[in-house]
Amino acid sequence: MAGLRLSKTTIALLLLIVCHVGPSIAVLFSQLPKTLIVTATTKSGDVLHAGEDKFTVTWALNNSLPAGADANYKTVKVLLCYAPISQHDRKWRKTNNFLKKDKTCQFTVVKQDYTATGKHEYTVARDIPTASYFVRAYALDASGTQVAFGQTTDANKTANIFDIVGITGRTTGIFVSAIVFSAFSGVALAFFYVVENKKKK
Amino acid sequence: MADKSSSLEVEQQSDAAQFKMPVDSDHKATEFWLFSFAKPHMRAFHLSWFSFFCCFVSSFAAPPLLPVIRDNLSLTTTDIGNAGIASVSGAVFARLAMGTACDLVGPRLASASLIFITTPAVYCSSVIESATGFLLVRFFTGFSLATFVSTQFWMSSMFSPPKVGLANGVAGGWGNMGGGATQLIMPLVYELIKKIGSTNFIAWRIAFFIPGVMQTCSAIAVLMFGQDMPDGNYNKLHKAGEKHKDNFSEVFKHAVTNYRGWILALTYGYCFGVELTIDNIIAQYFYDRFGVNISKAGTIAASFGLANIVSRPGGGLFSDYLSKFFGMRGRLWGLWVVQTLGGVFCVILGRTNSLAGSIVVLLLFSLFCQAACGLTFGVVPFVSRRSLGLISGMGGGGGNVGAALTQLIFFHNSKYSTKDGIFYMGIMILVCTLPIALIHFPQWGGMLCGPTPGCTSEDYYQSEWSNHEQQKGYHTASLRFAENSVREGGRSARGSGHSKHTVPVETSPTDV
Repeated sequence: MAGLRLSKTTIALLLLIVCHVGPSIAVLFSQLPKTLIVTATTKSGDVLHAGEDKFTVTWALNNSLPAGADANYKTVKVLLCYAPISQHDRKWRKTNNFLKKDKTCQFTVVKQDYTATGKHEYTVARDIPTASYFVRAYALDASGTQVAFGQTTDANKTANIFDIVGITGRTTGIFVSAIVFSAFSGVALAFFYVVENKKKK
Repeated sequence: MADKSSSLEVEQQSDAAQFKMPVDSDHKATEFWLFSFAKPHMRAFHLSWFSFFCCFVSSFAAPPLLPVIRDNLSLTTTDIGNAGIASVSGAVFARLAMGTACDLVGPRLASASLIFITTPAVYCSSVIESATGFLLVRFFTGFSLATFVSTQFWMSSMFSPPKVGLANGVAGGWGNMGGGATQLIMPLVYELIKKIGSTNFIAWRIAFFIPGVMQTCSAIAVLMFGQDMPDGNYNKLHKAGEKHKDNFSEVFKHAVTNYRGWILALTYGYCFGVELTIDNIIAQYFYDRFGVNISKAGTIAASFGLANIVSRPGGGLFSDYLSKFFGMRGRLWGLWVVQTLGGVFCVILGRTNSLAGSIVVLLLFSLFCQAACGLTFGVVPFVSRRSLGLISGMGGGGGNVGAALTQLIFFHNSKYSTKDGIFYMGIMILVCTLPIALIHFPQWGGMLCGPTPGCTSEDYYQSEWSNHEQQKGYHTASLRFAENSVREGGRSARGSGHSKHTVPVETSPTDV
C-alpha cells in the first residue's frame, strides 16, 4: 500500500513539474485562429508620447463564431507590437512564426482574465522606444499557451500603424554634468601643461 | 688602470644603488616584482596598466548596454556595426601618432594628454540622441586605445630584455582586461541606477559617468606619480644632454622601412584585432542568440576580456621562456602556434550550438587569442631600438585595422549571421597568421632559417644610425640595448658569454 501511495505522489509531482515547465507545444502563429476583434483609439499616423499619452484598447470575441469557441480561453494578453518598418535591419525585433522565438511583440499593455469583451486604458510606459506600432491580443489557455489572437492591423501589418515617441533620457542634470566634467578635463590638461613648461625652465 | 677600473665599478654600483630593484647597464629593471610599487619601475608599471585599463573600460562601455541603447536611439544593425568599426578605427592613426609622441616627448606626457583629450567624448556619450551621435562618441572615445602604445613603450623603457616580454604582457593584458571588466561593470552600474528609481533610458546615460571619472583620475595619477625613464623624465634628460632629442623623419624612416614591423602589424590584427571585435559583438550575440538577459550576457562577455588577467601575461612569459632556450626563433614559433590555435577555436565557436558549449569554447579561444597578443609584444621590442615607439605604434595600429576590417566584412550589416561571421573570422585568423614565417632577424634567425653568419645585434641596431650620428654618440642607447639582448641568440649565444663584438668595459680606452 505504501508503495502505491508513493508512486501516486511521484506522479503528482511529475505532473506538477511538467505543468510548471510551461507550454511545451510548439505554437506557430500561422496556425492561430483570429477570433478576437481588437480595436484601439489610436488612428493611423497618430503620434503618442511615452509617459504622457494614453489610448484605450478594446477586444471582443467575434460573435459570428459558434458558441463555446472560447471555452479554453482563460487569460487575455494585450501587447504592443513593432510594425515592419521598425523591424527593418533590426534582428532583435524579428518576426518568427515559431512563437517562442518571435520578437515582434515585446511590451505588455495588459494581462487579465478572459472575458468575451473587455477594454483597457493604457498610458504609454516610459521605457517604450521610439518606433511604429500596432496592438495585438492573444488568448491564452490554462497553461499559458497562445490559442487565438486578434490585432488592430491587417495581415500585412500596414493598416492602422501609429507612432510612439520615446523619452530621450537626456535630463538637464545629465547634460550639465557632462559639460562640467568635460571642461574639468580640459582645464586639468592645461594646468599640467603649464606646470611642465615651468619645470622645463 | 687598476684605479680607473675600480672607480668605474664604484660609479656603476652607486648608479645602480639608487634603484630599489636590480638593474642592467641601461638602468632597466632585470626583475619584475608584481606586487611592488618600487619607484620608478614598478610604479610605472602600475600607472601604465591601470590608465590603459580605464581607456579600455570607456571604449567598450557601450556594447554591454546595447540592448538598451539601441532602443533609446532607434539604432539599426548597420548603425551599430558602423559605430563598432568607428570605435576601433580612430586608434589606428592615434597609435601611430602615439608611437612618435613617445619617441619625442616620452610616454608619461603622451599618454596623459591623450587620456585628457578623449575623456570629454566619454562624458558626451551621456547626451547623444541619434545614430550619428553614437558613432561620433564611440569614434573619439576609441582614440584612447592608443595608450596601448605608450604602455608598451614605457615597459620597454623600464624593463630589461629578459623581462620585457613579461612586463609588456602583464601591462597589456591587465589593460585589455578593461574590455572584459566593462561588460560586468556597466550592466551592474546600470541595474543599480535603475533600482534607485531611474527609467532605463536615463539609467544608461548616468552609467557612462563611471568610466569617464575613472579615466580622468588615472590621467592625473600618471602625471603626478609617473616618470618616463629610470633616470628621469624626458624634459629633464633632454636638458641635461643625457638623452638626445631625436629627429622625427629619421625615426619615421627607420620604422616604415623595416618589413618586420609591417608583418607584425598584420598578424597583430588577427589576435588583438579579433579580441576587440569580440569585445564589440559578443554580449549582443549571447543576448540575442541564447536569450540570456543583459546581466548574464554581460557576464559571459566579460569572461572573454577578463581572461586577459593571465592569458596575455602568460603569452609574454611564454615568449621569455622560449627565448631562454631557443632565442628569437623560439619567440616566433611560439607566436605562430598559439595564434593559429586561437584561430582554430574561433572556427569552432562559430559552429557551436549550445550555450554551455559556446561559453567553454569562448574561454579557450580567449586564452589563445590573448596569449598571442602577449607573444607578439615579446618580439616587437627587438624589431627596432631607435624607432621603438613607432614600431610599437604600427603593431598596435595594425591591431585596430584588423578589428575595423573584420567588423566591416563580417559584422557590419545583415549579410552574415553573427554565428557565421565568427566562423569566417576564425578562417581569416588562420590565413593571416602565416606571414610570421617570413620574419627573419639576421643576428638571430627566423622560424624557418637560422641566423646569417657574421651578423651581430650591434650591427643590426647600429645600422639605424648614420656614421655622422654615430660619431656624435647618439646611438649609445641602442648599443647598450644590443648588449643586453644577447640572450635572444638562444642557448648557444648565452653559452659564449658575450655577443661577439662586445669589449669588456674595463679594457676600453676612456681617454682617446
